[in-house]
Amino acid sequence: MRLHHFKYALKILIKNKMLIFWTFAFPIILGIFFHMAFSNIETSEKFQAIEVGVVTNEENMMTKSMKAALEMLGNEDDENAIFHLHDLSLENAEESLKNKKITAYILLQEKPKVVIHSNSIESTITKQVMEQIVENQSILMNIAEEKMAEMSKEEFSNPEVTYDKIYQKIIEEINLQRQNTNTIDKSPKKLSYTMIEFYTLLAMSALYGGIFGLISINQILANMSSKGKRVAVSPEPKKKLVIGSVIASYLVQLVGIFLLFFFTIFVLHVDYGENIPGIVLLLFVSSLTGLSLGVFIATISKASENTKTGILISLTMFTCFLSGMMGVSMKYIVDSNIPFINQINPASRITDGFYSLYYNNDFSRYFENIFSLLLIAIILIGISVHTLRRQQYDSI
Amino acid sequence: MTVFKAYLKVLDKCKVPIIIYTVCLIFFGAFSLESNREQMNFTKVKPDIYIINHDESGTLTKNLISYLEENTNIKTLNEKNITIEDALFYRDISYVVEIPKGFTEDFLKNRQPKLEVKSVGDYEASLTEELLERYMNTANIYLTYFNEEELLEKISHTLKEEVEVEMTSTLDSDSLSEIATFYNFANYALLGGCIYVICLILSSFQKDLVKKRTIISSLPLKQYNRSLFIANSLFAIVLWLVYVLLSIVMLGNSIFEIHGVFFILNSFLFTLVCLTLSFLLSSLIDNKEAINGVVNVIALGSSFLCGSFVPMSVLPKSVLQIARVLPSYWYIHTNEYLKTLEVVNFSSCKQILFNSSVLVLFALLFIFLNHEVTKRKQRIK
Amino acid sequence: MTKNIIEVKNLTKKYKENIAVDHLSFEVKEGEILGLLGPNGCGKSTTINCLLSLLTINEGEIKIFDKKMTPNAYDIKQKIGVVFQDVALFDELTVIENIDYFCGLYIKEKEKRKKCIEDACKLVGLEDYKKYYPKQLSGGLLRRLNIACGIAHKPSLIFFDEPTVAVDPQSRNHILDGIKRLREEGATIIYTTHYMEEVELLCDRIIIMDQGKIIASGTMDEVKALAHNHEKISVQIMNLEEETKEKLLKKIQKLQGVIAASFENHTLLITAENGTEILETLMDRLKDFNISYQHILMMPPTLNDVFLELTGKELRD
Repeated sequence: MRLHHFKYALKILIKNKMLIFWTFAFPIILGIFFHMAFSNIETSEKFQAIEVGVVTNEENMMTKSMKAALEMLGNEDDENAIFHLHDLSLENAEESLKNKKITAYILLQEKPKVVIHSNSIESTITKQVMEQIVENQSILMNIAEEKMAEMSKEEFSNPEVTYDKIYQKIIEEINLQRQNTNTIDKSPKKLSYTMIEFYTLLAMSALYGGIFGLISINQILANMSSKGKRVAVSPEPKKKLVIGSVIASYLVQLVGIFLLFFFTIFVLHVDYGENIPGIVLLLFVSSLTGLSLGVFIATISKASENTKTGILISLTMFTCFLSGMMGVSMKYIVDSNIPFINQINPASRITDGFYSLYYNNDFSRYFENIFSLLLIAIILIGISVHTLRRQQYDSI
Repeated sequence: MTVFKAYLKVLDKCKVPIIIYTVCLIFFGAFSLESNREQMNFTKVKPDIYIINHDESGTLTKNLISYLEENTNIKTLNEKNITIEDALFYRDISYVVEIPKGFTEDFLKNRQPKLEVKSVGDYEASLTEELLERYMNTANIYLTYFNEEELLEKISHTLKEEVEVEMTSTLDSDSLSEIATFYNFANYALLGGCIYVICLILSSFQKDLVKKRTIISSLPLKQYNRSLFIANSLFAIVLWLVYVLLSIVMLGNSIFEIHGVFFILNSFLFTLVCLTLSFLLSSLIDNKEAINGVVNVIALGSSFLCGSFVPMSVLPKSVLQIARVLPSYWYIHTNEYLKTLEVVNFSSCKQILFNSSVLVLFALLFIFLNHEVTKRKQRIK
Repeated sequence: MTKNIIEVKNLTKKYKENIAVDHLSFEVKEGEILGLLGPNGCGKSTTINCLLSLLTINEGEIKIFDKKMTPNAYDIKQKIGVVFQDVALFDELTVIENIDYFCGLYIKEKEKRKKCIEDACKLVGLEDYKKYYPKQLSGGLLRRLNIACGIAHKPSLIFFDEPTVAVDPQSRNHILDGIKRLREEGATIIYTTHYMEEVELLCDRIIIMDQGKIIASGTMDEVKALAHNHEKISVQIMNLEEETKEKLLKKIQKLQGVIAASFENHTLLITAENGTEILETLMDRLKDFNISYQHILMMPPTLNDVFLELTGKELRD
């Protein structure tokens, strides 16, 4: 018997084409926008060799060795090259700088000079590297002086040769030192923060999907619609009706969120990490939270259906905003300053669940999120059940 | 006048959603500016890093840290709430340096201790890496020649070496890019605000029965459209003024310089485009429920594809090619161009004139299309 | 004596300070059609909603089928059918699906349900529209569908809450015929309306309500008697001189059984205790004066008159 109402509740939801279209299609369209807008942002942040012009003003040993050092950093074949070097005349360099073909040019002279167009991290790096080169010169001087002082008289007899030799030796040493690594790289492998955007999209879809529950429950509430009155005077117990409606809404909602999920995987190539069952469980749980939110709003408020959907939409958008949909850093700012807000914010919990699976497979964090979401759902459903239990109204 | 009065009455009825929507947009706008100051700013010279120090008392460690302090922002994290990994992921810091226990001692004894680092691989991280390498190389070279005391002093001395930098640009690029960011975001706010409000209000005028009455009335269609257009223009201009005022409040005096005036004029032109587009859309959409969807798709779509949220410079070329068919592209393009405009003269303004003409053409096109659509819709199916 | 299907005692319902239903008591007998009449806002719909246990009540006792009515009295609900004032239908479902859905809440067996749906369609005359969606139906057809949804499960007690508001004459006749047929099949019916004609046509008994109270009840004749049997006669007379008018009036006012007489433009209005009795004399008088008349109308007391008599205000506002 329960199936009778369930069947029709499902049919009524599916027949509502506008609702289905916007609820299913909107997150997908938004996902496409995200994909188009963010596909480049991380590569553009990745370090790429800086275009630098070199203008040789004076030709001497100093500038030669500086040039040599620059060339070592700007080796065309080297993937990790810091610079792409361009030998230019002063006029050409000025022109190129103006046209932004190069970020900076270096005037090689006794006291070298970096000319930049405007402040940027690239200019800072150029300056920094140039300082290092100059500094090597001064190291050279420092050590050479030291060595000279130690040298014996025989060695002094042929000063020019020895001087060269010493220089050579020290430069070799410096270069050798350069190839020495002083650090161990322990960087996390997955750092793509734009993934968060897509996770918030799923969170939005899950919460916004509560609209199905909202509409479905509204239809069996006697104080919301005349259809509800009709249902209320029938001998079918309210409990059965509510359960039928809720299950039907949940099914529709799941179809929507999985459509989005597959779309993000196969078309947008969103990375969810390796733990597929965990993700599927999260999708189920977050949809349940969305459903409970919809049911909660439907039962607790006496406002019209339009207002109720308005409340659901704005609540969804606001929670998603806090979880980083309009700027990933928002979630971090809230997390680090007022963590309480995001602990009770279902959108943040959903996003964080995906994040914990993607970033460091942190299971305790993942399950903490799952349990929080379940807890939110249970509380909302509990209040709804309590409200639904009353079958008579003071006014209709 | 009758039409205009009716418009105001409907506006009054819808004021709650309109106010909520506008306040949300302004809030997001203001916030995007705030967070952008934090996040997208590539011009920051000092990278944000974090240091985990297990060698508190080491002299070399102290020296290294004071060197990093000079050249980077060493952040403190609220570790009760977030992990270092979180901070890295969300780019609060771009680099983590972990100094191992006994680092100084090991180093002086030439055991070549290694620093553990975590990097996000962006420019800031590269800069930090460069700084660290520079320090460690210098230290390593001097190690063979000097003893501990001399070593630290020599390192510090050597690292003080500075290269002179000359900057050719005379622009205050920081404040200009802030203004540009704000006005780029206005793309979303103006577009979304205009379409949402105008469609919402006009949908009351489009209702079947109301429309039938208007069509059979003796009021000429052109005049009817014109009255509605004037009423809507007033709303759009008020919305625009709110944003201009907000920009003055948030960005201060720099808005009154020549560039700022250009930004404001450009946004005015764009407001006209939004207005005419909303008008066209309201004629096309019959269904009140569809408004929300259309607003979001058009406003968010234009904003994402044309560089309102994400700077144009990091958008893929192919996306920018597609974006040319959208008015937002030309509006934002002008903003981006203004950001780097050094001298204002005829030849440098050619690009701006071109972009502005495109915007005007868009507005005219929308007016024309609207007239065609309403003319066709006079017959009820 | 037939048994009471509904017994209401002292029913009181307050909305905050407002008393919508004020110590109402009445009963409904098996097999009868009870008309519940009153102006808008008199408490008819509130009374019905209270009877159906949709609203909480402040005071009183409601018994249906000899049992106390509660929200969980499913055995009572099973036997009740309700046709609400507003059209309560799913736009997303076809005519047949709508009926099936609501009927399915009462009847579980598929075969039996199918038969019921067929019968309901026939009763309201919707056989040709089974596959239509509500949006494609005219106002009258929607009302009929609304009724079909309420009565498809063949209830023995049916509430009709103004089912004919804004309905075209053809649909209205369909609906009224349908209700008569339902009674013939043995259903007890409570019918609210503010159309006097419908009440006359259908109801065995009526209750007139105003401001939450019963102001009159009984059979049609009993209630009409409350208006002191006054009937009205109007005679349209063209081209009459003022002088003649006054003479005529004086004559008529003297007639036995005439309570009042007056001229309104070209119409002579007479209020009498019994219209038929004076009609002949009236026509003789007209002949005496050699007056030709366009037409004569005899108007029995309407509900409006009764209502006016009882409350001093017009029924329809």
